[in-house]
Amino acid sequence: MDLAQNLISGVAVGCIYALAALGFVLIYKSSRVINFANGQLIAIGAFLAYALAVWVGLPVLLAMLLAMLLTAGLGFLVERFFLRRLVGQPIISVIMVTIGLASVLDGLMYLTPFGSGNFTFPQFLPPGGLNLGGVSISYPQLLAIGFTVVFLLIFGWFFQRSILGIAMRAVADDQMASMSLGVSVEKVFALAWAVAGLAAASAGIVVGAVSGLNQDGLIAIGLAVFPAVILGGLDSVPGAVVGGIVIGILQSLSTAYLDGLLAQVGLVGGGSQYAVPFVVLLIMLWFKPHGLFGTEEIERV
Amino acid sequence: MRNPWAQTGNYRTSYAQDTTIFFNYREILSVGLLLVALCLLPLFLERSQVLVLNFILIYAIAVLGLNITTGYAGLISVGQAAFMGVGAYTVALSAPSLPFWLTIPLGGLVAALAGFLVGIPSLRVKHLYLALATLAFQEIFVWVVGRSPALAQGSAIPVEMRNFLGLEITFRNHNYFWYYVILFVLVVLVVAWRNLLRGKYGRALIAVRDNDRAADAMGMDPGRTKLFAFALGAFYGGVAGGLLAYMQRAVVVEEFTLVRSVALLAMAIVGGLGTVVGSILGPAFIEFLRLGVERLSEWMKANPFIQSITPAGVDVASALLPLSFGLVIVLFLMFEPRGLYNWWRLVRSYFRNWPFRY
Repeated sequence: MDLAQNLISGVAVGCIYALAALGFVLIYKSSRVINFANGQLIAIGAFLAYALAVWVGLPVLLAMLLAMLLTAGLGFLVERFFLRRLVGQPIISVIMVTIGLASVLDGLMYLTPFGSGNFTFPQFLPPGGLNLGGVSISYPQLLAIGFTVVFLLIFGWFFQRSILGIAMRAVADDQMASMSLGVSVEKVFALAWAVAGLAAASAGIVVGAVSGLNQDGLIAIGLAVFPAVILGGLDSVPGAVVGGIVIGILQSLSTAYLDGLLAQVGLVGGGSQYAVPFVVLLIMLWFKPHGLFGTEEIERV
Repeated sequence: MRNPWAQTGNYRTSYAQDTTIFFNYREILSVGLLLVALCLLPLFLERSQVLVLNFILIYAIAVLGLNITTGYAGLISVGQAAFMGVGAYTVALSAPSLPFWLTIPLGGLVAALAGFLVGIPSLRVKHLYLALATLAFQEIFVWVVGRSPALAQGSAIPVEMRNFLGLEITFRNHNYFWYYVILFVLVVLVVAWRNLLRGKYGRALIAVRDNDRAADAMGMDPGRTKLFAFALGAFYGGVAGGLLAYMQRAVVVEEFTLVRSVALLAMAIVGGLGTVVGSILGPAFIEFLRLGVERLSEWMKANPFIQSITPAGVDVASALLPLSFGLVIVLFLMFEPRGLYNWWRLVRSYFRNWPFRY
């Protein structure tokens, strides 16, 4: 039963990673930019929701929705004011700009009370949880899983059916060809960043509901997204979801079983859940760098 | 007839001339004068000022390494601080039994081995994936050090060196002694850097960075070239870390976190990627910025008005540092992607052409 319990909590955490990874993959797919500021978007989304719900006093669900929209706006502004100016520069400088932006956003958060200390959302779910034959799922965990499923359905519909979604897929596939067919690549980039902000905020909000808010913790989730996307393949949306859930399960299992083993070989203190995803990342890069579902780059001269 | 003291045009007519380090006598003279000035500088400075200078020169060594990886090979590294850490911990563990002129290169070699392992994916994937490998190494390094009782779980390990060839190193002359050691190492590594990158290997690296398919077609092996660059950059980082360990007389894991890696990247960008002058200007700029920001936040802490408008629980000092580093990275990339090196170049060409505009 312990194993089943650990699996369930792993899946719940993994769903958070999947949500956060979704935005990351969207940006990578459309513009080949590795976004190092994803963790900061997650944290800002979560803190906005907290501020709107607790300080402004809006109903919790409305606050969450508003926070998601505001973070989407932030993603849009980041693209508009920083990245669009760098169109035509080598990708490496665009990536370094996201590293710089991550640092700036960190500093801005330290300027608010959120920079230190822990915060918990007001209780909006009933306490306790469901009990399925000895395995219990708490309501926040259910929320995480449900949120992810709903989001994936919306995203799936968006990419398969809506004009904008199809335009985004076209740009991801071949930028030059879609430009010549009248797709505005700039609009697509902006949209990708906005959607990434939305997804990141939703991940942050779910974290807030499951385990409370803390800046370092939220940014650590942003870092754990990297192993998830490398595992799934950098440019694959289903890969991001699978990768996220696998990383979540691995983390939960390593807390349960690996910490004790490591203590015997001389690594005391536990917390292997923070290192295991990165070990997975390195191993994946060594042996299967394009991930489980990513497309291998085939180059033609 | 060409004047060997002044540059009035480009007279390079052969490959051999194109790879010379110094173009004319004046450059040799000015570099020599600069070295003499750097040797005499500590005589006019106080102990605490020499300490700042030491930090700048140590970071300059690490940034030189980063300039091979990021500047020449075009691979983003967010793990240079971890490579410094590998060097520093190697020094800390071997210092009791070996002299410092062996432990520091040893630290570099161990770091290079780590860099080699982290860089292995470059044999198969394009450069951007490697940024994530360095991120993973950075996180794993800090985690492992923090969990190892053999490394004091990340708290301070003392690194002692009391005397050198009969010279007793005390509290008074510690900073001065290490200033000269660091300067010597920096000069050796700069010469090695220039020599390596002006020759066949450096040109291969540039070719691979600019177009790896074309380089491949011309008989270079992009994977191996990049992998070697990666290990070499890590070697420089390891040497810098070893020097840092001796200079601080202790090794602490907080020196080698992701924040420091980002700071090193900021130094490389601000200075100008792929240049020696930039590798020294960048660390100097960032270190003085850090000192300025620290002074500013102390002033803000003492100022009653600013205290009254900051919300409770806000630590201004911890906010201003990442804010300023990030802003510097973003602004330089957007408005001066060639870094301070470009300003240096403009100033130099102004004086060279004076009294003419160009």
